[in-house]
Amino acid sequence: MATVAEQWVLVEMVQALYEAPAYHLILEGILILWIIRLLFSKTYKLQERSDLTVKEKEELIEEWQPEPLVPPISKDHPALNYNIVSGPPSHKIVVNGKQCVNFASFNFLGLLDNPRVKAAALASLKKYGVGTCGPRGFYGTFDVHLDLEDRLAKFMKTEEAIIYSYGFATIASAIPAYSKRGDIVFVDRAACFAIQKGLQASRSDIKLFKHNDMADLERLLKEQEMEDQKNPRKARVTRRFIVVEGLYMNTGTLCPLPELVKLKYKYKARIFLEESLSFGVLGEHGRGVTEHFGISIDDIDLISANMENSLASIGGFCCGRSFVIDHQRLSGQGYCFSASLPPLLAAAAIEALNIMEENPGIFLVLKEKCERIHKALQGISGLKVVGESLSPAFHLQLTDSTGSREKDVKLLQEIVNHCMDRSIALTQARYLEKEEKCLPPPRRRTGESRAHNQGGGPGCAALGRVLGPGGQPPRSTHTGLCVTAL
Amino acid sequence: MNVGVAHSEVNPNTQVMNSWGIWLAYIILVRLLHVVLLSIPFFSILVVWTLTNVIHNLAMYVFLHTVKGTPFETPNQGKPRLLTHWEQMDYGLQFTSSCKFLSISPIVLYLLASFYTKYAAHFLINTASLLSVLLPKLPQFHGVRLFGINKY
Repeated sequence: MATVAEQWVLVEMVQALYEAPAYHLILEGILILWIIRLLFSKTYKLQERSDLTVKEKEELIEEWQPEPLVPPISKDHPALNYNIVSGPPSHKIVVNGKQCVNFASFNFLGLLDNPRVKAAALASLKKYGVGTCGPRGFYGTFDVHLDLEDRLAKFMKTEEAIIYSYGFATIASAIPAYSKRGDIVFVDRAACFAIQKGLQASRSDIKLFKHNDMADLERLLKEQEMEDQKNPRKARVTRRFIVVEGLYMNTGTLCPLPELVKLKYKYKARIFLEESLSFGVLGEHGRGVTEHFGISIDDIDLISANMENSLASIGGFCCGRSFVIDHQRLSGQGYCFSASLPPLLAAAAIEALNIMEENPGIFLVLKEKCERIHKALQGISGLKVVGESLSPAFHLQLTDSTGSREKDVKLLQEIVNHCMDRSIALTQARYLEKEEKCLPPPRRRTGESRAHNQGGGPGCAALGRVLGPGGQPPRSTHTGLCVTAL
Repeated sequence: MNVGVAHSEVNPNTQVMNSWGIWLAYIILVRLLHVVLLSIPFFSILVVWTLTNVIHNLAMYVFLHTVKGTPFETPNQGKPRLLTHWEQMDYGLQFTSSCKFLSISPIVLYLLASFYTKYAAHFLINTASLLSVLLPKLPQFHGVRLFGINKY
């Protein structure tokens, strides 16, 4: 019964084929030809046309001269004349065999040679050995790491924290984890090199605004808003970020965080705050620039800091809401694909946090010292202090420049050598000149340490004396001074 | 982890259509659709074949030519965010074997559908849906978004 019905239908079908309208059959014929064409076509790549003929390509290849492996450099390149430090860098440092007052290391709370921190690190060294031999996802997570993340989250009063094993890599991994191609990042011109590398890795659209100029930032945000209104569908899939530093490494100034938070809520962008210099420095308990301004930590989407300045350890951390930080556990390149922090450094950081929590008075001491040294260095002829009075890392810039960067650098180097002869260790702030986006003028950097309580007074005076008469006709360059508090 | 499962493919979407398992699953799914439609009592054979053709082409259009990006994070900073699955296949290489398979199967379905509808009924619907699925597969239409639809 079924087969009869089928055959009957089949006969009808074939009959219908003969009676089919011509256009339909022609269409089917074309389709069958299309199938045959598809079956016989070769795979090829859609290429952008290159307008060079073979001859031109040969010419270009002939013309090319390889660059020498070692480019010719002058004899006084800093990489060839380095200072050798022997012994630990605390408030005194032994440079080239000579003991100097250390104004060059970033040792803000003076915890570099604190006996408690050293004891904790040694105990951890005996217990765990030196390294972790693995990234966090592959047998490299130790209890000290989890402990440190916990303590940092509690200290900063956020939900979660994540540890990186290298301070530079912290912000350079955090930015590309959230901001991708097609997203927009508004960043300050004076952002440090690590932020610039993170932005470059993220392939997002970068909009630079003038340093600490909220009016400029608002102008850029308004322009973006108008573009968004023209194309709302694109705007819905674009993410917007504002990346700022708490205390800028390149200028020693504070970012105007209350206005930033207002702009954030007005223009719906997310704030990434880089607190490397302000963590453990600003605020009543050392929680950074949010505590300094009294802003709730929930207003900032991501805080990133490195532990190499105040915590006297190595590495960095990011803290924020769990929803935000958890994403970095799989997307943070520096977290997933680097070995984790050596446990002795994590233990040292935990002990440093203990010290910070036990005596919050050290932050006041640091602040006092910073203000003192700022005042003491004000009147030097030829050099001006660049940076806020509460910033422990600031720069000494030549007031007028010679006109050429090399001459400025040379002059500063002379000043640094002069200071070194008088037992004061300073450094020049170095920049990869070809890689920086907005190259700051050459300067000398000073790091003020809390350790300079005794050395502080005479140190300031010595610095003033040395720099005062030592100043040749004024130039503008920077040297950085880092004030560390002890 | 299982042995032999790890891959270093930056965007796995590009290789998913190349496995023979997908091809087999695709054929089985189309037949399943057809059988399910056949089992609905009040559809005649004509309607069932037209519906198979149309639903298959609609699903193909949505999954291959409308939905953009990847459901997972890729390590190339979001390059395929604005590309449809067809444009992502084999990183934009044209006329690969899976491309040919996916181009030929709607044509085959169309030929069968027009045979079974006796070349008389539902011509326009079938042809229109076939065209809607064949045109985006042409290399000239790679990355083209008509009238700005589906651009972002």
